[in-house]
Amino acid sequence: MDKLFFDTNAPMADLDRVDGRAKVTGAAKYAAEYDLPGMTYGVLAGSNITKGTITAIDTKGAEKAPGVIAVITHLNAPKIPGYDEGTNPAKGQTGGKGLRIFNDNIIRFNGQPIALVIADTFERATYAASLIKAQYNKEAPHTDLVDAMKTDKPLEGQRYNEVVRGEKDAWKGAPVKIESTYIMPIHVHNPMELHATTVRWDGDDKVTVWEKTQGVKSTQQSVMQAFKLEEKNVQVNAQYVGGGFGAALRTWPHAIAALMGAKKTGKPLKLVLTRPQMFTLVGYRPEAIQKIAIGANTDGRLMGMMHEAAAITSTYEAFNEGLVKMTLQLYACANVTTKYNIYQLDVSTPTWMRGPGEATGSFPLECGLDELSYALKMDPIELRLRNYAETDPENGKPYSSKFLKEAYELGKDKIDWKRRNPEPKSMKDGEWQVGYGMSTGLFGAFRGQANLAAKLYADGTLLLQSAVSDSGPGTATAMVQIASDAMGIPANKIRFELGDSSLPPGPTQGGSSTTSTLGAAVSNACVTLKKKLAEAAKKSPVFGGDVAVESLDFSKGELSLKGDDSKRLSYGDVIKGAALSSIDVIENAVPNPAMQKYSAYSYSVHFVRVKVHPLTGVVRIDKIVTAADAGKIVSYKTAESQMIGGVVGGLGGALMEEGVIDHRYGRWVNNNLADYHVPVHADVPHIEAYFVNKPDPVLNPVGSKGMGEIALIGFAAAVANAIYHATGKRIRQLPITPDKILEANSI
Amino acid sequence: MTNEHEDDVLRAAHSRRSFLKRTTAAAAITLAPAALVKAAEDKLDEKGAEYFEKLPLQIEVNGKPYSLQVEPRVTLLDLLREQLHLTGSKKGCDYGQCGACTVHVDGQRVLSCLSLAVMQDGKKITTIEGLQNGDDLHPMQEAFIEHDGFQCGYCTPGQIMSAVACIREGHAKNDADIREYMSGNICRCGAYPNIVDAIKDVVKKGGVK
Amino acid sequence: MIPFDYARPATVGAAVASINKDATAQLIAGGTNLVDLMKRGVMSPQKLIDVTRLPLKEIKEANGIIRIGALALNSEVAENETIRKALPLLSQALNAGASAQIRNMATVGGNAMQRTRCPYFYDTVMPCNKRQPGTGCSALKGYNRMHAIFGASDKCIAVNPSDMCIALAALEATVIVAGAKGERRIPILDFHRLPGDNPAKDNNLQKGEMITAIEVPVNKAFAKNSLYQKIRDRASYAFALVSVAAALDIKGKTIQQARLAMGGVAHKPWRLTTAETFLKGKEATVANFQQAAALALKDAKSYGHNDFKLTLAPNTIVHTLKTLTGI
Repeated sequence: MDKLFFDTNAPMADLDRVDGRAKVTGAAKYAAEYDLPGMTYGVLAGSNITKGTITAIDTKGAEKAPGVIAVITHLNAPKIPGYDEGTNPAKGQTGGKGLRIFNDNIIRFNGQPIALVIADTFERATYAASLIKAQYNKEAPHTDLVDAMKTDKPLEGQRYNEVVRGEKDAWKGAPVKIESTYIMPIHVHNPMELHATTVRWDGDDKVTVWEKTQGVKSTQQSVMQAFKLEEKNVQVNAQYVGGGFGAALRTWPHAIAALMGAKKTGKPLKLVLTRPQMFTLVGYRPEAIQKIAIGANTDGRLMGMMHEAAAITSTYEAFNEGLVKMTLQLYACANVTTKYNIYQLDVSTPTWMRGPGEATGSFPLECGLDELSYALKMDPIELRLRNYAETDPENGKPYSSKFLKEAYELGKDKIDWKRRNPEPKSMKDGEWQVGYGMSTGLFGAFRGQANLAAKLYADGTLLLQSAVSDSGPGTATAMVQIASDAMGIPANKIRFELGDSSLPPGPTQGGSSTTSTLGAAVSNACVTLKKKLAEAAKKSPVFGGDVAVESLDFSKGELSLKGDDSKRLSYGDVIKGAALSSIDVIENAVPNPAMQKYSAYSYSVHFVRVKVHPLTGVVRIDKIVTAADAGKIVSYKTAESQMIGGVVGGLGGALMEEGVIDHRYGRWVNNNLADYHVPVHADVPHIEAYFVNKPDPVLNPVGSKGMGEIALIGFAAAVANAIYHATGKRIRQLPITPDKILEANSI
Repeated sequence: MTNEHEDDVLRAAHSRRSFLKRTTAAAAITLAPAALVKAAEDKLDEKGAEYFEKLPLQIEVNGKPYSLQVEPRVTLLDLLREQLHLTGSKKGCDYGQCGACTVHVDGQRVLSCLSLAVMQDGKKITTIEGLQNGDDLHPMQEAFIEHDGFQCGYCTPGQIMSAVACIREGHAKNDADIREYMSGNICRCGAYPNIVDAIKDVVKKGGVK
Repeated sequence: MIPFDYARPATVGAAVASINKDATAQLIAGGTNLVDLMKRGVMSPQKLIDVTRLPLKEIKEANGIIRIGALALNSEVAENETIRKALPLLSQALNAGASAQIRNMATVGGNAMQRTRCPYFYDTVMPCNKRQPGTGCSALKGYNRMHAIFGASDKCIAVNPSDMCIALAALEATVIVAGAKGERRIPILDFHRLPGDNPAKDNNLQKGEMITAIEVPVNKAFAKNSLYQKIRDRASYAFALVSVAAALDIKGKTIQQARLAMGGVAHKPWRLTTAETFLKGKEATVANFQQAAALALKDAKSYGHNDFKLTLAPNTIVHTLKTLTGI
């Protein structure tokens, strides 16, 4: 079977998404879709300037407009207790404080909310918000990274120190070397669901929030901190989340505004961002300008690498990510120097976006390797294999599992790499130039802590509960699959409840760790369930007293004695026999301490075949193969969808996505889905996703590693490399639109 | 005598604004109960304002007739979601750039975010909630589940409404055709290949009604 | 959106009278552009005159001319058998625009009236002479990747975003309008205007006039040899970087007559008359196509981000003619 190329023993998990029916019928409810009696609508008005102070704000027109209930600005905003104590309601990555909405008159970025208008209908609130007029003391905006690199000093601190492994500048002495600068613009998550918060206060100290969030518990914590509330009095719901890609990892200022507004009016309130607001109020992947230099011996062994990155952040927070980490981690190279610089500009704070750090850093690294392969006249896969890391180059630790070689082989075979003529500009299909390109992606395989409740009922059904939310990958489906495999219970008899902060605390969905973290909890819970079942079965005459759990088989959804399956008992009968209504387990799964001895990463290998039209510069990707080492695949169907989805995101970044700010005004120019292009159906060919599907034996009991990030990481480089192969043009700036192809010289 | 130029099928809404501009106009007086006229003259009484800003609207949604009063600026999408609480039709951009709000009006797929509700007077609307037959899913809904044509599910109702129309229009002849005629429906999770598979499967199994 | 009045007149006369009487009134048909602009506060009519129920949907052919009612939907025209046979260029251009849903809403008349997609026009904060005369043109020295290379002024470098109108320009269509004083016929090339000193005005429609139909002459030779090529940043559902509408009358290898128009390059559909004249009587060869393209670009001027159009435009002309002639 193609799909499980390397592990023919693994069961073919082909479970339909457990929430599929709700999603295809419109029954699935997202944050803005709860109808509460007396609902009011909140709309944010944004600043027209980029930097300065508000000197006057006229809210009279809005207040008098029909249906308006309240207008909140910095002049009359209720106190947020968390603000005064200096805690940060919108918890940032590192350094600085999240924007404390309506806390002062300072404008820090264009579009910063200056007022919240609350009215009885959406139309009236929207219209009234347009009547807010502010006067400003305006200062010149500073939003251009290129300018900043000339005039500003980057932030200093441990995170930004130069890292030197081995000998600095070793690459310079290599017989074969490349040195290039790569540019990546701002990318914006743009999940299809607009960020939304629905709030209902029940008194002064108790609140229910329906929020678009990738972590119901983290949102709950943020609300508790901001408003000084007890955990039991803050209920956060996120049953369905319409995509996140990182944009819903934080509790953003608009959610605090919604809480503030509903508290002030005493009425339930719904606040939905507009699509343009999605470009300034919920983060983005920061623009980056990166230098890469790689030197190798004539046999292709890397002698030295240098990676220096410059990226942007806001003036009020120092957002940073592992931009240059991959260069230290992927290849066996003794001499590596990295430097990461961030510049504070008059923009809103960036945030993690799918493949944070590596998605940006892999572009120069994996294009650099490609450049080097041509300089060496060596196959790019061969070059990578010659520098294959058998232990983690950063710390010398062994890998808990690594099947990257297998992924290279798998992808190479499926794309039919042998058809590639190594000579650039040598392959054609009619008028079109044809090129093959590949790249590698890597992301740390993590596991956090998760709590889970499991209840096995007398009717044989199993209920699993954890306070996580699922922004799309299919968490509930994967967890049901794990439980079904472990307990032998058909999937349709297992329910996974999530999206509710009152359930046992689960992880935030980010960093490709949900299946690893939560799957471990499900797996452990099933182990405990089996023990409890065996214990309860003592009371049954079937097994005649004590029966060790090890001697029982659970694979058929019942207890049967190994070697004598005439002795069997259904789960329901065990429970009833013990005079119970259910067997309950509360599991707290923590990371495996044995992992301290190991390093763990997931890997992807992307292969693309592109066609480039030389006259018009149009690029079409006509074949995509992506192969991953993501540990054991728990739920094949959703896993494949996640890989495909990440690739589509990568395709957008490679060919069309670019956030544009007009630096004269510091204002966004293309903050909507007509001008900020994301891929449409016509851009995307059939995509083949393959998995090595070998379990990681240490990370977690399921054997899975992460997948969400590696699906995208490296893809842009694969496309750029294929375009070089097709045209002989090395495009080092994304997105690779027709103009760049036409204007680039062959090299 | 009615002025020829005012010979509207539906009378113009006399908004509070234009009403206040010409409070003596006989036409407006005849429209409004005296108390409301007084209220309007006394400035901005909420109820009066509301009366003058709303227009009657008769529509059928998923086979059910509705007799409504709506402001002319209410879009079909906001009417469905906020007033009729049919939240299956999604707001992804509100500017006609993503297709999440796709519904059928008299059998044709359109964007409800760019459709003013008052302009749909007398029309039949079908939303995702009206696609299935009782408990039986529409073949397209089944195919989306089988082929995993979604992840987060937010664009899904729009994709499905569009896919049903795509086949009905005869625009699902081959992969390229499907991709082109489905390009008005953006999926940020990137489920496109699976959606194309779902549509092909429905075509293969005999298409849609 | 601001609150506004709404009326649905029963006759063309009543609709025309409404917009004549009330300067703040605006006709609405598909609404795909107007509702969008109203949501963003770029246009704020105080009254909408809904013309969608007027009997202006018919597509009919008589005496070598196809008359398309102004309210025929983009999708209806694109799919119409008569149009597909006699005016395939128009059908192709319509299908190259927007999405299936939008084409099901947008009308032919509305398409001709659609406004530029210049981002500075769409934003109500940054200066724009088209939106707010006298404030300046932000695109001139700003982000002007999508902007004009022909016929622009220092007041405005925006482009007309229509695909349909580019085909109509090549096919020499006529716009029929109704006004208070009766009917008027405007050749498509005189319908849209260049920005000059008054970029706020997109076209030469007089106050109180309404498009009722478009007439397109049928040319069998062109119908056999025509092609609409659109180059854009993604494969579909995007506005043109440049587009070319080409129709050729060829006998043997000799071009008897050529029609060429470009989109994405000017404030109006841009006819390439110099190139057409050059091609007349010439053989269909790549060299001739290249020369024609070079002639077409003679007066082009770029503004920085759109410099690439000076290469992309002639290349697309050559590509279109090559594809059309199979050379």
